[in-house]
Amino acid sequence: MTPAQARASDVPFRALDTGTVAVLDALGETLLPGSAAAGLAHYIDHQLSGDPADSMLMIKYLGVPAPFADFYRVGLHAADALARAVHGKAFAEISKEQAVGLVTKMAGGQIEGWQGPPVELFYFVLRSDAVDVVYGTKAGFEQLGVPYMAHIEPPSRWGE
Amino acid sequence: MTSLPKDPVDVIVVGSGAAGSNMAARLAEGGKRVLILEAGPARGPGHLISSTLYARRVKWTGPPVLDEGKNPVGFVFNSAYGTGGAAMHHYAVWPRMHPEDFNMRSQHDRGLDWPLTYTDLATYYDVVQQEAGVSGDATKEIWRPVGAPYPMPAVPVFPQGNAIARGFTKLGKTVAPLPLAVTTTNYNGRPTCLWDGWCDSGCPIGALANPLTVHLPRAASAGALLVNDAPVTKILTSDDGTRAVGVEVALKDGTRQTVNAKLVVLAAFAVENPRLLLASATPKHPQGLGNSGGFVGRYIMTHAAGLVYGLFAEDTRPYMGAFGGQLVNQDSYPKTTHTKSGAFGSYQWMIAQAVKPNDLLGISTTRPDLFGTALQDFMKRATRGFAGMTAVCEDLPVADNRVTLTDQRDAHGVPIARVTHTTHDESVALWKASLAEGKEVMQAAGAKEVWTGPPGSMHIMGGTVMGTGASNSVTNTYGQVHDIPNLVVAGPGLFPTSAGVNPTFTVHALAARSAQQLLASWEQLAG
Repeated sequence: MTPAQARASDVPFRALDTGTVAVLDALGETLLPGSAAAGLAHYIDHQLSGDPADSMLMIKYLGVPAPFADFYRVGLHAADALARAVHGKAFAEISKEQAVGLVTKMAGGQIEGWQGPPVELFYFVLRSDAVDVVYGTKAGFEQLGVPYMAHIEPPSRWGE
Repeated sequence: MTSLPKDPVDVIVVGSGAAGSNMAARLAEGGKRVLILEAGPARGPGHLISSTLYARRVKWTGPPVLDEGKNPVGFVFNSAYGTGGAAMHHYAVWPRMHPEDFNMRSQHDRGLDWPLTYTDLATYYDVVQQEAGVSGDATKEIWRPVGAPYPMPAVPVFPQGNAIARGFTKLGKTVAPLPLAVTTTNYNGRPTCLWDGWCDSGCPIGALANPLTVHLPRAASAGALLVNDAPVTKILTSDDGTRAVGVEVALKDGTRQTVNAKLVVLAAFAVENPRLLLASATPKHPQGLGNSGGFVGRYIMTHAAGLVYGLFAEDTRPYMGAFGGQLVNQDSYPKTTHTKSGAFGSYQWMIAQAVKPNDLLGISTTRPDLFGTALQDFMKRATRGFAGMTAVCEDLPVADNRVTLTDQRDAHGVPIARVTHTTHDESVALWKASLAEGKEVMQAAGAKEVWTGPPGSMHIMGGTVMGTGASNSVTNTYGQVHDIPNLVVAGPGLFPTSAGVNPTFTVHALAARSAQQLLASWEQLAG
């Protein structure tokens, strides 16, 4: 099962709770439209639930010690808190324009009162994850017209 | 897990990467009983899945390393855990160091001198390029030091390479095929590369000269035994402290086993080698093995990457080629080329690297500021017209850039390492100079948009530098620890300076030279 299929089948989450997933979906859609449907939340949840040695998350390259679940949980809570502080609503409930405004600030790295991991790093990690699920697969390559040319094909279910 | 031998062996090699596999092959072929201990899991070609995501599984997953300083070395990305070590996923860019890299202190009052010269290494470069297979055009590389021509024709140039080459040519600069340890013909039974750009995931077809393809099979044929999941926790020394007698290995059941040997080769890369030396302190070596002069862990270096990108009107097919690139330019190799801008040191351009849409070196990451529909638009445009090149910028050795032990311990009770690295001001200036030149080249090439990236860290060197004695280094020119001659360090940790080229070819040349010496002096060495 691919992350997109996991999402379509409503596979239960193991590392993330429902509230966190709602923030992740909304943030993912702002970072790269289509990432929620591509299964961003299920992909991250699956990677966080296994052995960190098997993790395929970009964060492992970025000097953050494993396990990575707290990085995501705390960061997503901070993004939600930011939306509530600025717009009085949960991140999942703000408008697209408002979400773009907040993500622009996150990318800039300067947010007063941010209660999460370094905000620029958090933005970079989430953006990379969204790019991975949308463009990092055979389907994603095809979408861009890039020949995949695999020697050994990746399994359709990531993480096997 | 393959069982560890109960009886003593002649040689223990700690680590199965470029240096370890090369030393193991040569020493086994020299008739020695060799045991290779690899801390990480077994990996064969079947594990090397063509995917930027799966590639992340073959990177470092061993004990945590605290990666600190203003310019961290990027330990996880630049290393690996498992058969073949970091060389298993290296990009096989194999230029030689230049004669001027070996005497920088004498010539320029910067960094350190090597205790050997280019001439001492030249024949070993020749031998290694023949056995590993290097593709290139020696005559077109006008900067290339003396050496035998390459055994295979040059790598092909795709539209991305042609686009950037235009800029170099217009500015009166030279490009030549990038020397790559990748096959352009069938070579010793290995097939020709397909130029599909999956090098970072590890090459499963044997086109790229990684340890799985070249030296580990040779070592195995000569009788060397490779044991995986066998982390060494301590190097054991004799009571009088003058000899290494073996190592202690952590077994999966939590117990330890001692394996004795006449010679111990540490080839666990630039961070784990000093970590083990420091963690193996004894009353005779209270500061750690080989550390009487206080140099173990010092002079850690990493190349700053001068990343320059352009977007062209033509279809550059940027996904074609090798991950390391297609062309090279070394016009900025003389150490004082950019002194006017406060810079010192050498750099080379690796031109037109194959890129994938995602990942740390992927197209999307070159513009981390873009998100949403702007990112979607960029990805569509860049897939057609993207081109990139990377300067390998020399990193001046700084004594305080170093590996130290922390109070934290890994699962086996060994202190974990901290690596601190802050780039020297003159090296930062060199990186900036590379970006300025790169932008000029891209503009001259006709790029519609030109942009640059942050100074990512490529390669890790130093930490167990070679020199003329314990008062200035950890080992001699053969990697023998000054105080303990049958304890040998191999790998890029030996480099006293980083040069402006990729390190793996020089790692191999040093290993070949060292193995020859160890075999020649075996009777004296083995005691």
